[in-house]
Amino acid sequence: MLDRRLLKNFDLSLFLLTVAICAYGMVILNSATLSLEFPPLYFVKRQALWIGLGLVIMFFICLIDYINLANWSRYLYFFNIGLLLLVPFIGVERYGAQRWIPLGFFDLQPSEIAKLVIIISLGRLLAEREDFEHFADLFPTFIHVALPMGLIIYQPDLGTSLVFLVIMFGMLFMAGAQIRHLAAIAAVGVASLPLLFPLLEDYQKARLLVFINPDIDPLGVGYQILQSKIAIGSGGIAGKGLFAGSQAQRQFLPEQQTDFIFSVLGEELGLIGALLLFLLFALLIYRILRIASIAKDRFGFLICCGVAVMFTFQIVVNIGMTVGIMPVTGLPLPFISYGGSSMLLNLMAVGLVLNVGMRRHKIQF
Amino acid sequence: MDKQTLKRLRFMLLFIITVFVVLSSRLAYMQVIQYEEYLRRAEENIFRKLPITAPRGSIYDRDGVELVTNRPGFSVSLLDLGNGYDAETIAYLSKLLEITEEEIWDKIYEQRYRRYLPVRLKNDVSFDIIAKISERRTDLVGVLIEAQPIRYYVNDHLAAHVLGRMGETDELSSEILKEWAEKGYEYRPGDVIGLAGLEMVWEPYLRGANGEQRVEINSIGQAIGYYEKLDPVPGSDLCLTVDFELQRETERVLADIVAGLQEEGNEYAKKAVAVALDPRSGAIRAMASYPAYNPNTFSRDFTELSQDPARPLINNAIAEYYPVGSTFKMLTGIAALEEGKLRPGERILDRGSLTRFNKTVRNYGSRAFGYIDIVRAFQVSSNVFFAELGARLGIDALAEYGRLFGFGSTTGLQDIRGERAGHVASRETKAKFHDDPWYPSETLDAAIGQGFHNITPLQLANYVAMIANEGIHYRPYLVEEVYDYKGGLVFKAEPEILNEVEISPQTWALIKEGMAQVMRPGGTAWYPFRDFPVAVAGKTGSAQVVALGGVNIPPHSLFVGFAPLEEPEIALAVLIEHGGIGADAAVPAAHGILSAYFGVENSTSTSPGADIEQETGD
Repeated sequence: MLDRRLLKNFDLSLFLLTVAICAYGMVILNSATLSLEFPPLYFVKRQALWIGLGLVIMFFICLIDYINLANWSRYLYFFNIGLLLLVPFIGVERYGAQRWIPLGFFDLQPSEIAKLVIIISLGRLLAEREDFEHFADLFPTFIHVALPMGLIIYQPDLGTSLVFLVIMFGMLFMAGAQIRHLAAIAAVGVASLPLLFPLLEDYQKARLLVFINPDIDPLGVGYQILQSKIAIGSGGIAGKGLFAGSQAQRQFLPEQQTDFIFSVLGEELGLIGALLLFLLFALLIYRILRIASIAKDRFGFLICCGVAVMFTFQIVVNIGMTVGIMPVTGLPLPFISYGGSSMLLNLMAVGLVLNVGMRRHKIQF
Repeated sequence: MDKQTLKRLRFMLLFIITVFVVLSSRLAYMQVIQYEEYLRRAEENIFRKLPITAPRGSIYDRDGVELVTNRPGFSVSLLDLGNGYDAETIAYLSKLLEITEEEIWDKIYEQRYRRYLPVRLKNDVSFDIIAKISERRTDLVGVLIEAQPIRYYVNDHLAAHVLGRMGETDELSSEILKEWAEKGYEYRPGDVIGLAGLEMVWEPYLRGANGEQRVEINSIGQAIGYYEKLDPVPGSDLCLTVDFELQRETERVLADIVAGLQEEGNEYAKKAVAVALDPRSGAIRAMASYPAYNPNTFSRDFTELSQDPARPLINNAIAEYYPVGSTFKMLTGIAALEEGKLRPGERILDRGSLTRFNKTVRNYGSRAFGYIDIVRAFQVSSNVFFAELGARLGIDALAEYGRLFGFGSTTGLQDIRGERAGHVASRETKAKFHDDPWYPSETLDAAIGQGFHNITPLQLANYVAMIANEGIHYRPYLVEEVYDYKGGLVFKAEPEILNEVEISPQTWALIKEGMAQVMRPGGTAWYPFRDFPVAVAGKTGSAQVVALGGVNIPPHSLFVGFAPLEEPEIALAVLIEHGGIGADAAVPAAHGILSAYFGVENSTSTSPGADIEQETGD
């Protein structure tokens, strides 16, 4: 079984933080789904199943030395590209986007898996390269990320594709890319936004326009944000009490078990409940970065950084959306939003970080 | 780890902490500084998805004359604004809308699983009530006035039994609603739904799909903002086989005849029925059951209607059955000719009465006609002649031909519900009601349409149509075409042959000649038709009704016929309950109806012909 030294290096606090956030999420999910026309605890039971399954996978991930992943990264990468290519053919369509591959008991979202795969494969790519003297040194990274990202934009899933961009940006930064190069990329990206705008789907344009000016409301997006803000704001410091949110329980919140679950928390548990969640999240990311700092190699370090960037970005974008400081993108809140694929992916990501932490010293056989 | 990487890691940690601080500040700002404002909005600004009732499809006659449409109306609903319901408001509404508080609470309870939807309290309220509610707007919490199309029957009573009526879902049993729900048609309490006639059967086409709109409601339930809207899909329009003018004239004629009979002191004449259909397809051109009701005021009139002894709610054309009388004689004739029991041209001595099996059958007024053939026997409606044929045939052959022509089973009308099958006189029919076996003497009655036969007017019309088209039983139908709201054809009726009876051309010729002679001088239906420009074939009948308590009740007056004789396009059955012999009431009625159909103006009066000297009787 596991080496004792491996066990000793197991970051119990990261593990417990993860479990605590999941448990917190289940409580909120229960409240958010109470008034939906589903059998009691339908969502909670399914979510519990994903968490359980995720923890088992996490355990198995810890058994394998993450170094192996570096060797497998090419296969993982192309396997994932293959899955994404399958989506337009056998994927099921929901809310106007084709993102899911039906597996009978649940629908797999290959774009979620792709996040983890890109962290691993990009980690390997960047680990081998220490020199970023020229801008051209960044090109392999661009191509590496552009391929899966393009397929995800095509689905269309703009939110998830942005996660790729941010992961890439964050990992390049940590890998030692030139600040001026990164600044140039950022500048070009921001400058090209108006040029990209006409290429967006109508609902995406609407979301951005509403974000810029909440008074115009062509598709009811303003309604979503407004309801979410009313829910959170009216929660006050202590909240209205679990299961007692007038907005949440009367289903004024859109997608309140997934995208807008934080609004339920904000309304029912107030500022205190929200800050508690922030604290848990901040500690989680701190533990991840701490493991990054003591990783035995660049590969492990970069993986941890990628996971931290991914979590942070999703948390900020999701919560920012619910409080009206970010546009509506449909990114789930890690460990809290209902959904199998994202829950499994997040737990696997934590497993990967734990793995890096466990093997921080060279092991003697 | 090199220095630069460590620096960047620290920077990232700092950056992430900053991000959380920004989020926390934003939250604190919203939940502490702006708390009061958001709390007020949470309490006051409530968004609701309000259903928009889809306009129901209209119903048109065969030429596009509008028979049923919608008119604008208002309904009053109650909305849960988040703090339950206001008892004072409910008490006030109870008085204003004339429904008990218990009923209101029941409606609220019925909708407990969809609390966020308005609870419909009353449909089609008067402007007076709307005004009263509007005046007290600020005191009445959660009261919602919704615009709602109200079903409007353009000609009130016209074709009421065919068109049907609307009712609220409350009137339906939960099983029927469940049945609809299983087919994907959801209703909420207070919704209106077709409860009879075409409105009921064609509900899936007529109803359309309700829309909804997200509305921002303030603390007293007033809409203060409108958001995304899902437009309702209007229902599809029905185009009927029914001819508006023929239907109108048929109903008018029946009412006139009944009124005329009552004026003459016939206190038993109260009800009359007529069915006209196209023998080439089964398309029903008119179906009238007098008296009818007014679907526009049905709910108001219900108590009175349900207590009326003339039972105006029943569609007598399909749901009531009657003895057939002499209109059955064509069947006896067909059976005898086809079975070789009567040679074409064979004459039978009619002495005015016939005694067989210890039973005596008499002609109307006991008139003797001497040696007569089948054509003459039809013309004068000889009981002796057809009773003799019955005796030759026996009941089983007679019953078999009855069944071939649809006696004892429904005609297959599916566009409205409630068709009854009636009975054909047979051993089985008798066994249902009596312990004694079939007596041969009863065959004599059966052969002239008395006794155990029971038939609906629609069956009678179908039977005469089968004579007109020489043996084809088309499924009778009422809906010719259905168009969706964009004008696209979504349904088109195809004439459907349910049965074809093989009868020799010679037999058809004799039967039709006999029916033609009925309408000519010397025939039982000649007089009112004496100047009629179209050749008509027909047969009168009077169906004796068993006198209750020894009182002598006038028989039902019947007429069946088709026209034009050579290429029939209309087949007709008329029955005036207790109208006397055929010539008294049903024949003038038929004359009026066929005049309307062929556009004949006043060839003779449609008043009861009792004062006219009849050559023959029944």
